[in-house]
Amino acid sequence: MLARARSSGAPSIAVVGTSKNAGKTVVIAALAHALARAGEPFAVCSIGRDGEAADALDSAPKPRLFLRPGATLATAAVLVPRSPALEIVAVTGERSALGPIVLARVRAAGNVEIAGPPSAAALRRIVRALGADGRLVLVDGAVDRVAALRDGEDAVVVAVGAASAQTAERALDDVEALVARLRLPRADSGADAVRIEGALTASAAAAFARTGERRQIVVADPTHVAFGGRTFLELAARLDLRCERTLRVIACTVAPLGAERSFEPRAFARAVAARTKLPAYDVFAGSVEEPAAA
Amino acid sequence: MNALWTEACGEAIGVPWLLAAIAPNGALGRRARERERPFRHGDESEARAALGRVAKAAAAAPERLASLRATIAAAPEVGATLVRARVGGVLGDVDFFELGRLLDALAEIVTLAAPEAFGAAVPLDHPALRAALAPGRTASRAFYLDDAFDPELAAARAEAAARQAVYDTARSRLAERIARFAGTENVRDGEFVLMRDRLEGPLPPELRVLRETPAYLLCELSLDEPALAALGSRDAAAARVAELEERVRARLSREVASAAAALELACDTLGELELLVARAQFAQRHACAIPEIADDASLAFSGARYLPLAQALEEHGRRYAPISLELAGIGVVTGPNMGGKTAALRTLGFLAACAALGVPVPADSARLPLFDEIAWLGIGAAPEDDALLSSFGAEVVALRTFLGHGAARPLVLIDEFARTTSPREGRALLVALLERLQERGALALAATHLAHVTPKGAVSHFAIGGLRELPSRDGAPLDLEAALRRIAAAMDYRLRRVDEDALPPADAIALADALGLDEQLIARAKEEM
Repeated sequence: MLARARSSGAPSIAVVGTSKNAGKTVVIAALAHALARAGEPFAVCSIGRDGEAADALDSAPKPRLFLRPGATLATAAVLVPRSPALEIVAVTGERSALGPIVLARVRAAGNVEIAGPPSAAALRRIVRALGADGRLVLVDGAVDRVAALRDGEDAVVVAVGAASAQTAERALDDVEALVARLRLPRADSGADAVRIEGALTASAAAAFARTGERRQIVVADPTHVAFGGRTFLELAARLDLRCERTLRVIACTVAPLGAERSFEPRAFARAVAARTKLPAYDVFAGSVEEPAAA
Repeated sequence: MNALWTEACGEAIGVPWLLAAIAPNGALGRRARERERPFRHGDESEARAALGRVAKAAAAAPERLASLRATIAAAPEVGATLVRARVGGVLGDVDFFELGRLLDALAEIVTLAAPEAFGAAVPLDHPALRAALAPGRTASRAFYLDDAFDPELAAARAEAAARQAVYDTARSRLAERIARFAGTENVRDGEFVLMRDRLEGPLPPELRVLRETPAYLLCELSLDEPALAALGSRDAAAARVAELEERVRARLSREVASAAAALELACDTLGELELLVARAQFAQRHACAIPEIADDASLAFSGARYLPLAQALEEHGRRYAPISLELAGIGVVTGPNMGGKTAALRTLGFLAACAALGVPVPADSARLPLFDEIAWLGIGAAPEDDALLSSFGAEVVALRTFLGHGAARPLVLIDEFARTTSPREGRALLVALLERLQERGALALAATHLAHVTPKGAVSHFAIGGLRELPSRDGAPLDLEAALRRIAAAMDYRLRRVDEDALPPADAIALADALGLDEQLIARAKEEM
């Protein structure tokens, strides 16, 4: 996955999930581990809060984020660990739900918690600050904040897990729809278009479909399409949906084993690759399913 | 009355504009601003001293003021950190980082601006605390609890790193064994999945199975004795590092606590310095004069500008006509519509607000007293959302409230009081009000269209010059901007002292004509005159 991101020259990789507990932090931790092993400088930030021992909402255990010296991170000042001490690089003007956000460098290996700003604009500023000296920035993200990414430059990885849906088929619909939405093609400036101010809702899209709209329907970026799943797939097949700012989705990851249900790992990864036409990585199994093979 | 002016009066005389123009950019300046109170009658000495400091600062080069202000604005607000240190709290690394930034800002200001030149009497540099934090400061001004703080820390960290390496090796050995068994490249930390169809032979003892299905096993590493021993050893070393790091923080926190009182004073001084520099920059930007603060209730100014209006006119390519005025006691301003009567009141109020806030005034020269209340009566005296009262009712209530304050040295600005009632009764009320203000020794200026409101020998009567010529209509469809420019060119905005009985100039019909009112209607109005 890193090789794909590197070859595309992406300055950051945002990992977004089809739902909570889709395995985003596990992917971030795995990428961090791989980057540390390769001796490449990198930084980590989050749109929410990650790396804590237990979920603040349901107290379920959460994957930890273990960083080694050289890594940089953005986190809330109150989450800076007492030990091992971090090197505090800057106190930014941005705030998370837990207070001001600081940039810090890891000087001794240890677990860290990261917390980020609630707005896409603030996240963009944090990502720019972290990547200012050319280091790759890993963003533990959220679908509605990927608008913070640079037009067509940053890489996006979509995580889907067994916790995402009641059945494997439903999870596959969700990930296929999310990937298709995030990969909306750029609007053709030479063709007729209906430009949508704000978000395109399911009912508005259905109305366009009913009237047989043939023009491009253009939103600012993929996050301005306010519906997903099977509804998106059906409507997208009947409409020419486009966007002004495109995103670059490079891969999917699967977390087939959830607390309440599990999907057969290899079959699930293979199906994700087939439905999304993207490589599907199973970080737990250390394997990848390529779309062509699938 | 606690406030020097009501909100409605402040709006009328441009106080929000003024406060925004001298607003601090930094946290320390904002905190200092919260402590500020306007100067009132009785504070003349303090006001003169404050204006003297601004005058001194305003003499500095603009670039020097800009650097000084930027440095102060960048200084963090560490009040809560200092309080925590003073009550014996152990500070965190972000606190030390912020304190380092503050100390940098203080040291920079000392070298950049020699702040004592602006009247800052408190020592700003704190070399002892800077030295205490220095081992943690990097070239890029970051902060790290460096080994140099404590020789034992260096040794403990080296030990922890070594034991981490031992544990990593032990764990890697197990992980490689499992990876070989499972036919995978590597095994991740935490839980991992093994596919049954790749496994051959019995499961190795280093593998703990958490869940199994016909197709896969969800596992984690089960540490063997050497790995468990390495883990225990690593955790013990990490605990020792944590203990020593906390010891360094506690020592640094005590150093901060001992300097906290002086640092708080320095922060206050820095904040006040930003307010001073903001005023000096305002003075430079608007070519202001330092007003002479008078002891008696009289004032005089020349070439004065009401800056909010001057700025708005400038945005429309028009120029504000500065005004001059001398006033002791009560004055009445008469003049045509659009002649600047209200602007004259606002200008006076704005200058008085500037003096009260220790801000140089936008005028060529000025002599002003301090007041214990600045009141605005008449149009605009009450908040616009006071829907339960008619405009006349609202004016009367505002007047009653003002008279109830019993201010000893008020400045009263009266804009067409009672103009919405019958002219005869409105005039009677205005005359009575002016007499009452005169009895109370107030300084007041009233704008009105009414004639004969100036009691003989007691009230100064000022008249706006009015239209020098009738602004012509060019017959084309009305271009409002052009019409306003023509009126402005024809209007003499100067205030002149005139005879008490002089009739107010009446240019209303000519102005209505210039503003494009129907020609037949204008002609009929002229007949009626």
